[in-house]
Amino acid sequence: MADVAEEAPSVSEPLDLVRLLLDEVVFVKLRGDRELKGRLHAYDSHCNLVLGDVEETIYVVEDEENDDEVKTISRKSEMLFVRGDSVVLISPQSRIH
Amino acid sequence: MSFFGFNNAHNTAATGFSQAHDPFQGLSGRDDDGDALEFEDTYDGLGDQLEETKDSFNDDTFGDTSDITAAPVGKDFDFFSQTAKVQNAIEEEHYLYNRQQPPARSIQPVSQPVQQASFVQPSLTSAASYGYTSQGHYRTGYEKYGNDKYGGDKYSNEPVPELQVDASLWGVAPKKQTQPDPPVSQPAAPSSSAPSRKILSLEEVEAQMRAQAKAAQATPSPTPHAQGPSQIPYDPAIQFAQPAQQQFIPPVDHARQALPIHVLQRPQSNQAPSPQPPVQPAVHQRQPSSTSVQPTHILQNPNRLSGDAAIMGMHQHSTPPVPGPSAPPTQPSHRHQGSFGRQANIITHPSQVSQLTEEQKAAYMEQEAKRAKRNHKIFLMSRDNGVMTPQDKSFVTRIQLQQLVAATGNPNEHGTDESLAEDFYYQVHSSLQGGQRQNPNQPLNNFAQTYLFQTGNRSGHMRRHRGPENHMQRMEQQVQRAVEAAKNKPKNKQLVIEGSLGKISFSNAKTPKPLLNIKRTESTDDANRPSSAHKVVSAGDRKSDLRTIERIYTILMKMEDHDRVLPPAPTSDADVEGHQRGMRWSNEAQALNQELWSALRVYDEPQPGHPHPFVALLSYNKGMKAMNRIFRHLTQEQRTTILTLVIVNLDKLDVVVNAQVTSAAVQLTAAMRENIHVFSNAVMNTLFNFLNELDLDIVAGLLSILSKQRLDVIAKSRIGASMITMILSRAEIIKVNVGNTHPSWRAWDTCHTDFFDRLEPTLPYMFPGSVNTGDDIYVWQLLAALGIGASPEQQQRLVLAVKDRVMDTVALSKTLPADLGAQRLQNVNLFMRSIGLDVELLQ
Repeated sequence: MADVAEEAPSVSEPLDLVRLLLDEVVFVKLRGDRELKGRLHAYDSHCNLVLGDVEETIYVVEDEENDDEVKTISRKSEMLFVRGDSVVLISPQSRIH
Repeated sequence: MSFFGFNNAHNTAATGFSQAHDPFQGLSGRDDDGDALEFEDTYDGLGDQLEETKDSFNDDTFGDTSDITAAPVGKDFDFFSQTAKVQNAIEEEHYLYNRQQPPARSIQPVSQPVQQASFVQPSLTSAASYGYTSQGHYRTGYEKYGNDKYGGDKYSNEPVPELQVDASLWGVAPKKQTQPDPPVSQPAAPSSSAPSRKILSLEEVEAQMRAQAKAAQATPSPTPHAQGPSQIPYDPAIQFAQPAQQQFIPPVDHARQALPIHVLQRPQSNQAPSPQPPVQPAVHQRQPSSTSVQPTHILQNPNRLSGDAAIMGMHQHSTPPVPGPSAPPTQPSHRHQGSFGRQANIITHPSQVSQLTEEQKAAYMEQEAKRAKRNHKIFLMSRDNGVMTPQDKSFVTRIQLQQLVAATGNPNEHGTDESLAEDFYYQVHSSLQGGQRQNPNQPLNNFAQTYLFQTGNRSGHMRRHRGPENHMQRMEQQVQRAVEAAKNKPKNKQLVIEGSLGKISFSNAKTPKPLLNIKRTESTDDANRPSSAHKVVSAGDRKSDLRTIERIYTILMKMEDHDRVLPPAPTSDADVEGHQRGMRWSNEAQALNQELWSALRVYDEPQPGHPHPFVALLSYNKGMKAMNRIFRHLTQEQRTTILTLVIVNLDKLDVVVNAQVTSAAVQLTAAMRENIHVFSNAVMNTLFNFLNELDLDIVAGLLSILSKQRLDVIAKSRIGASMITMILSRAEIIKVNVGNTHPSWRAWDTCHTDFFDRLEPTLPYMFPGSVNTGDDIYVWQLLAALGIGASPEQQQRLVLAVKDRVMDTVALSKTLPADLGAQRLQNVNLFMRSIGLDVELLQ
């Protein structure tokens, strides 16, 4: 949408944009170097999220070997509740065709 | 005075902090050149000399908790009601005084200087109780009584018995057995009352006043004091509520005339009761004084009284009063006591016990034991009593009630939108659970009612006790009021008070007060909507699709809410209100339907290069999932329109165009597979159910529309193939039910022939992947549907078209495990049977 301002009736707050992502695959960045990718089932005003089919990625910096290697830990969850205070970013995941 | 261990060696001429104001100071000073002292001038900072350690007599004052019989005093001790009991002693004093100086009362002139009275009421009371200082001497506050039967002129130049608070006043047997008489012999250890000052007795003061009055006016008004002292009516309320004014107001009627002065004296024990000014008379202030001798009972512990009072009452009424050791003055006062009923019949001092007979004593002791037991019980239960004041408790209860009411909402609003909005999922869940709970609100309200009921019960239970009664009653009322208030709570969340600058918002825990009140006028909303709709059409991108879907969901939720408030059908034609309700409801439903219909954008023209806006919605999972709910709220005509629209755009559907099967074993992406799955579950299911209600002519029309589309694309997708199967099988079902004699069959046959011709080239390429892939049952189903309705010539063409696949499958099934092979053969047989063949024939 080129002109968001003209969409004012349907978008009156930022979370209205999040609403558009309901039932879509979203990318969520969390505090603590974590990222989530999953289907957004529900959210609330605190940015608490319920995600389904989530893939969680944790970035760990390992400086034991002195080469500051970033290691990623990945795991999957069928359903995840994300407390809103750790949410940094919610973004639509480009669809895979 | 030494009661609190003050240093009495201070300047006796100076008025100390503890000294009560002497209202007669001016009076006496007139005769004796006494200094008229101002407090500010004379205060010598005695308060700073307080010594905190000398509290050895606190036990005497406040009762001894280490006493044998008495249980430790709980924290919930009610000093006030105990104080009220002192009234007994007050009355005795009053009577006593009256008896000794019957005619002294009525000659009080109005002109007495009582200017201080208005602001020194409490101290005046005590001053009146303890006598007044004479010339040049200033009271210390707790001068002792003269021991001369309270009437003499000997005053406290000599040490007098210490003023002691009778510990039994507080329901605790006194530790120290003070001698009732003679008062001088009291163990008044710290009694070092100001030796230099002379205490003026009440009688003396009055004599002074009388003398002055006589001198000034020389009009004595002799009072007919014919009545015996014991019959003299009195009004303690007036006595204490307005000591100065009332006392010196000239008698206005006979009853007033007879008003004796109440003196805070206790004849038996010669002890002064606690010096707190009685408060309760304020309630009774202006009671007619003539006959009402009933003392106030408020704030007294009826329970506690009843035990003692019963005994004492019995004693007083059954036996002639036993003269106490304090002889003459005591006896009438005892009679007096008896006449007051229970109020006056408390044993305030152990010395009274000795006057009782054996049975009475036993009964008394039994009562005492009971009381001690109860006290102990109370103590055990009340370790934490008093941590919260009644105000605290009611505060907390109010908060809880507010939340309770907020949580349960208005009991009259069952099933309304508010309750649904508050906890939608619970409401829906419980309505889905159905069954016993007709009303999802029920448990909550039951809880509230139970709570209120129990509160009431508890109050009823507590009524037997003393203090909490008032409190619990108030709580009960509070509960009722809170419920009332919740019922009457304005529906709108705001209140605009005339003249105020802003709006007052009501808030509770569930719906916090909105800090921002952004008013969105309907007009701008309406004005924006069409324009935005046009915009959306012009920019049919993903975001606007998503927005449209959300809008549709919002409308759907509104409509579903609206369905829940469907009013009951009017009972009769006369039920005008019912009809009106129905009208309103259907109007509202109509408006919502229009809103939904416009949101679906079925009639919007697609932009070049973009799919139809409605079809675009079916590219999204949530758009597909909405279809079932959308159909529920549409009219038949609207449904038909949508079905037609879907078929017209079938070759443009995401799940058709992007899910073409190929002969190569190329797997679709997981996302597309899921989309196809959702589409067939959500959309196809809905359309199939709807199609099964349609007539043949519409079905034929759909088929003719379908044959004008890119059939190759449609047929090579799972969804498209299923759609074709759906239409064809519906026609076959109609044929079975109605028979093919119907005139519209000719139209159908034409359509079908045309369709078959167009589909035939695609037939061999409909199968997904190679033979090994399997998962081709839907193709066999389509072939079966085609075969049933086909003419023999068409069947021939069918067989030719798919012969290879049939043969391959049969061959493959032999290599597969038995059950898998049987499964594949069965699928093939769907088609073979439809044209009158069987795979068995091929083997």
